[in-house]
Amino acid sequence: MGSGRWSTDVYDAAARMRRTTGTSAFAYSDSGARKVHDRLNPFGVTRESRDNAEHPQSLAIAVLFDVTGSMRRVPRTLQEKLPGLLGLLLRKGYVADPHILFGAIGDATCDRVPLQIGQFESDNRMDEDLGRIVLEGGGGGQMTESYELALYFMARHTSIDCYEKRGRRGYLFLIGDELPYPRVDAGQVRSIIGDELREPIATTAMMAELRRRYHVYYILPTGSSYAGDTRVLDAWRDLLGQNVIELDDLDAVCETIGLTIGLNEGAIDLARGLADLAEVGSTAGATVGRALARVDRGAVAQRRLGAVSDVALAGPDRADDGGDEGIIRL
Amino acid sequence: MNRGEHVAVIDLGYGDAGKGTVVDWLCAARPVPAVVRFNGGAQAGHNVVTSDGREHTFAQFGSGTLRGVPTFLSRFMVVDPLALVAEADHLATLGVADPWALLTVDRDALVATPYHRLANQARELARGNQRHGSCGMGVGETVARALADPAGAIRFGDLRQPAALRGKLHRLDDWLRDTFADLPAAPPAPDDCAVVFAAIAARARTGDQSTLDGLLGRGPCVFEGAQGVLLDEWRGWHPYTTWSTTTFDNVHALTDAPVVRWGVLRTVTTRHGAGPLVTEDERLTRRLVDPHNHTGPWQGAFRVGHFDAVAHRYAVEVAGGVDGIALTHLDATGPDTRICRAYVCDGVRTTRLAPGPARDLDHQATLTATCLRAAPLLDAAPEDWPGVVAEELGAPVVLTSHGPTAQDKRMLVPAGR
Repeated sequence: MGSGRWSTDVYDAAARMRRTTGTSAFAYSDSGARKVHDRLNPFGVTRESRDNAEHPQSLAIAVLFDVTGSMRRVPRTLQEKLPGLLGLLLRKGYVADPHILFGAIGDATCDRVPLQIGQFESDNRMDEDLGRIVLEGGGGGQMTESYELALYFMARHTSIDCYEKRGRRGYLFLIGDELPYPRVDAGQVRSIIGDELREPIATTAMMAELRRRYHVYYILPTGSSYAGDTRVLDAWRDLLGQNVIELDDLDAVCETIGLTIGLNEGAIDLARGLADLAEVGSTAGATVGRALARVDRGAVAQRRLGAVSDVALAGPDRADDGGDEGIIRL
Repeated sequence: MNRGEHVAVIDLGYGDAGKGTVVDWLCAARPVPAVVRFNGGAQAGHNVVTSDGREHTFAQFGSGTLRGVPTFLSRFMVVDPLALVAEADHLATLGVADPWALLTVDRDALVATPYHRLANQARELARGNQRHGSCGMGVGETVARALADPAGAIRFGDLRQPAALRGKLHRLDDWLRDTFADLPAAPPAPDDCAVVFAAIAARARTGDQSTLDGLLGRGPCVFEGAQGVLLDEWRGWHPYTTWSTTTFDNVHALTDAPVVRWGVLRTVTTRHGAGPLVTEDERLTRRLVDPHNHTGPWQGAFRVGHFDAVAHRYAVEVAGGVDGIALTHLDATGPDTRICRAYVCDGVRTTRLAPGPARDLDHQATLTATCLRAAPLLDAAPEDWPGVVAEELGAPVVLTSHGPTAQDKRMLVPAGR
């Protein structure tokens, strides 16, 4: 019968879990793959987040990041860090049943993998998607990436029970350092997603459509090449208002996303969230506190306004309270 | 065994007969949708050696894992999440690309924690030299605690409910400290334990009976038993037993489908830890010292005896019969490995230990006393081991093992089938 050959020490298990999630993340890209993995191909598919017996209160959470060269080491760091997101959300009880989708954004005018979209998953399978993301390292060099194509996919090719059954919006986090193109191109939609569009859609209109079903946030890692460029920040603030987060320590990306959701869901306030971080031994508190100061103010305001404002805020014209200077028209 | 039939593998002795190597062979012989664990917990130690020299002691992952066969841990398992992590790590070093992707756990399976383990060890320490041969893994303690405090029991599905999980771990920690004055080690902080459990839950898939039904519908599965029938909680030599049903009962509870029942036996009868071993022979223990069965700090010494047909006949009887026997360690036989067909107890020759009514621990204690007074009548080493074992136990020997790997197995086609 034996007598327990495998360590049962809590701290040994914790260290092993960290090691394994840190090293397995790049398998697909590092193998030399230069085309989108079948499981991440956005052509002709709809991604679904469904309630089930195990997860009756599913909440759709999508994280899409720019994988082009202008982001330098950022995509790789995200591939290493993001597997911690699910555990963080569950551990802290910020969300009962998170369904997480990972994806990547490139440049449809010149990259081989302009859009990669995983599945909504409630267990570690989304980490497998993360490992299948191809890192481009290209990009167009015009300070633009095909974010608008990703917005189109999320708006029209996802189906999420949190919204459709319970009227609760999901979450979309875009992580990058560049601008979207001004409109969704019909030809790109046809070749990459497979829909026939009669005419292009303005990116502002696309965003407005998307925000009816998702809280959308943009995270700008300050270590990337266009970081601090006011044109990028201003353009996103014009689209998203206060939902633009500057993050100076990318290691804190999971904590930033987790706390943003926790604040917005009313599960915590910023002080309690930062205390949670300190309690689990995270040193990211200062970084996250700075990054989320604006979001916290918005969340408090939103809670005060109540449910009506939740719908009203979805409109693009109500969301630009932070974008009042240096506006770039898209 | 037809190619399309599920097979259940149990041990007809005290464990250690080679269930792992038999399950590995079954997984090599045909495509298997899943290996299903249906009893015990992480105290299992099923050793598998591959032909290219890789070696793993399976505790919770199924013994088909090195062949890429998925594992389903059924609701009868006591799952030890922490032990899964180290086991998965070792499997990864052996070339299993993603061990977690091969694992599904029934959300109703009980979860063993460090608090159960410490309670188990504290109890064994308090028994002094009257130990029961427990493994010190807390499997029995987990079952006992769940019976005493059902609302506080942690099931695998609870690992996805952080707030409730933290509460239950604190409750266990409080109970442990209130119950035992002397603990062999300091328990970990319940909040730390909750964090790690949640991370593990995020990696392991959960399922339920419908998941299992789906696997069983896809093709012939293998049910991998742990421990041995002679350690069964109701049929073993009380109190030297395990908190687990080691017969086919759980298999029949998990499926109505026909299952071919295999019993595994070794050409010597062995026992790891305290309790009766009628045919024990120190010379055999010395000669056949098992590299995988060291003296455990909780379990005690590994002991070897001659093939005990009396005890194994009893095991076949209480298991409700077997369709075939897998006989291992034929490479370890010699003139000194003899066979016991009868005991002498209080001057009376006995060939049968009579099973009592179901769940009658007084009767089991009587059998224990009989075994402790009995002396074995040893016959000469058989020439034809498979033939003699089949005759003594009334079931055909269908597989023989002559070494550690699947290549060392021989399938026998029993006459008349």
